[in-house]
Amino acid sequence: MRILGISAHYHDSAATLLVDGMPVCAVQEERLSRHKNDASFPIAAIEWCLERGGLGPDELDAVVFYEKPMLKFERILTMALRGFPRTWHSFPRAMKNALGGKLWIKGIISSQLGVRANRILFAEHHQSHAAAAFLTAPTRRAAILTADGVGEWTTLSLGRGSVDDSGAVTLELLRELRFPHSLGMLYSTFTAYLGFPINEGEYKVMGLASYGKPTFEPQVRKMVRRTADGALVLDLSYFEFHEGARRSFSDRFITELGPPRDPLEPIDLATPEGARYADIAASVQRVLEDILVDLARSLKRETGLDDLCLGGGVALNGCANARILRESGFRNVYVPCAPGDAGCALGAALVADRLHFRQPHQEVPDHPYWGPQIDAQELSRVASEDGLELEELPRESELIDRVASELVRGRIVGWMQGSTELGPRALGNRSVLAAPHSVRMRDKLNRSIKYREEFRPFAPAVPIEHAERFFELPPGGARLGRFMSGVFPVRREWHDRLAAVTHVDGTARVQTVDRKMAPRFHALLEAYGALTGIPVLLNTSFNLAGEPIVNRAVEGYSTFRRSGIDLLVAGQAVVSKPRAAQVAPEAVA
Amino acid sequence: MRAEPSTVDLLLVPLHRWVWADVDRRARKLLRFSETEADGARDITRAAELTRDATLRRLYLRHADDEQRHAVLFRRRGRELFDSSRARVFEANWLAPGERGLDDLDVGSESDETLLAFLHLSEKAAAGRFVVYEKVLDCDPQTRAMFARILEDEEFHMSYTRKQLARLAPRRCGLRLWQARAGRLWKAYLRIATALAALLGTVMLAVQYFVILPLFALLAKRAARREPEGFSRSRAGVTLESQY
Repeated sequence: MRILGISAHYHDSAATLLVDGMPVCAVQEERLSRHKNDASFPIAAIEWCLERGGLGPDELDAVVFYEKPMLKFERILTMALRGFPRTWHSFPRAMKNALGGKLWIKGIISSQLGVRANRILFAEHHQSHAAAAFLTAPTRRAAILTADGVGEWTTLSLGRGSVDDSGAVTLELLRELRFPHSLGMLYSTFTAYLGFPINEGEYKVMGLASYGKPTFEPQVRKMVRRTADGALVLDLSYFEFHEGARRSFSDRFITELGPPRDPLEPIDLATPEGARYADIAASVQRVLEDILVDLARSLKRETGLDDLCLGGGVALNGCANARILRESGFRNVYVPCAPGDAGCALGAALVADRLHFRQPHQEVPDHPYWGPQIDAQELSRVASEDGLELEELPRESELIDRVASELVRGRIVGWMQGSTELGPRALGNRSVLAAPHSVRMRDKLNRSIKYREEFRPFAPAVPIEHAERFFELPPGGARLGRFMSGVFPVRREWHDRLAAVTHVDGTARVQTVDRKMAPRFHALLEAYGALTGIPVLLNTSFNLAGEPIVNRAVEGYSTFRRSGIDLLVAGQAVVSKPRAAQVAPEAVA
Repeated sequence: MRAEPSTVDLLLVPLHRWVWADVDRRARKLLRFSETEADGARDITRAAELTRDATLRRLYLRHADDEQRHAVLFRRRGRELFDSSRARVFEANWLAPGERGLDDLDVGSESDETLLAFLHLSEKAAAGRFVVYEKVLDCDPQTRAMFARILEDEEFHMSYTRKQLARLAPRRCGLRLWQARAGRLWKAYLRIATALAALLGTVMLAVQYFVILPLFALLAKRAARREPEGFSRSRAGVTLESQY
């Protein structure tokens, strides 16, 4: 069977192609369109997937959209009615938005791809999340917890999945929490309150939380109440997001916590105002973690299973994931490489294959590298045209030794290998790498490459075999670190020598690198370890602020030229920073 | 190539003077300019990535660097001013929009020639406006000096885009510029038409909201009150054919 999965129109649209039960490729639209968090219909991603699979649209057995548009519209309309007359301002906008396109997905897919309407299917949003988490994890039986802002109506679901010996899949969502009561929306409201963009700034809230104390926890707990059955209810008098207002928090919210941060105002943690923002971030983080741990514990008691699969945007919260692993009783916690909406394209395709068409389950390769391949020739071409120093190092060991020695010299390396990652993390194929030892390196990266807030930490990558030496990993922690999904303490004795990747609270969002998953990256870490005694590298996504992670070599090249990256590696090609190749303005202007 | 303000901008000098007189408004405008410049840098970088012409690529990268540097300058100065004033004032972005970036141009679908023509006109318009800003900022020498510095880059951008267009399309240079002018006019028309259509749509939907919805709203509120708290059972037996 040939199935195309699509997610679109909220944030991070993506496409996946599944052939005979196995993913062939998957890519987010932003990597091709070069618009960060591109939510538009992913036509470029679809075209690339079909080209990669060597298929025409007419050869597809099914195209699956990741949610049910009519059900979503029902929610939007119902919320407008419930909020009458306060929703008068948002109603026209919501209707124009839905009726102007988002509602007519079947027609859009049919007209854009020329696929017959009866081949277009619709999974449920949280079913797609659940499938993306469970059916890509190396387990046959697991509890499932998905949480995000909102899908159609569902904001959080609890369930379980199993695969029997014949490969038949059961995916059972037992119960769900419905909009407007939403953990994701709670966190996003605080994200907006703290002056960060929703769906993008949540990482910043998590990073900021480490600088604060949860002194506002009582106030946050007033906003979210637990019910007798273990669910949660938001006190809607603190919020306005459910009424579609431009602001997601209410005046009462401000009365409780003080004035919101102006997005244009920088955060200075040395000031009382900066400290207040950090304390508020710490408070909402604490409440989120407590609720998630409690939900996971109840799921453990109910299912008695050893494994938990987490899905939805909330599963990107590495601090919460680590606490769930430590405190919920589950032996393993699996978070896919793309737990957010981008991964739903894969999830929806798997739902169609395993549940709708009842195809036997096949284990999905346990890696995140589903996107376009790097073309080293492209880098060679542009570098030679620009007269840069280019080296081709065909011998693997030569390449690894060269890059490792440059890293030891304190140089920053843009590292592009193989296929681009699916999901928000750069996991060694589109990464910026640097020595992790000094705070100076962290500041240099913040200043000359990432141009981002100082309170945001950088992540370390370490071969899985050495992870325990540097980080305090609970049982199952190494697995959670596979896709950089958990935040764990750095061992105290390494704080000083891993200063660039140790956050203010002594933790790090570690990536544990498996040789089988990323052999070249693993070899580089080992080579660096052989030279320094510490096989750990700082690994941050290969992009500049406001841009998506690079995809093609030429995009890596332009990023390299515009930033403080010293060395660019694509495949076997190595380019050094230009010295005499600057454009002479007078020659051309 | 020297930048000159357009007649409209010259006529609007008193207005620009009023807009830039207030410190908080100035700070916010500079911070918005910073975002526009950063957006512009991204678009021009994309152009550098897509062009097959090595000279253009180098120039675009330099141009993107300049825009990024301007973004930093605007941000830094905006923050300095922002720290010195916290009063909230009307920003008047419509009255003095500054740069419009690349006008939502789809860089990927443009040829080198059309992109250069478009860039030339955009830079020329922005440079002309910056001349006016420089003129009206006698109350703030620091910001004025910053505009003067940025203006030098803008003049270089105007100049290189014109020269490169002449290199790539020696015979069609004028035509491309006129096409770009027409494109800008068309985009301005589209902006106005879209805004007008959106306004009409909003009015019609708002009328329907107040005329048709009240009864249904009553029913929806009653149903919401009856909804139990906490978890609901997940839907079962829904097929993938259904959009509900």
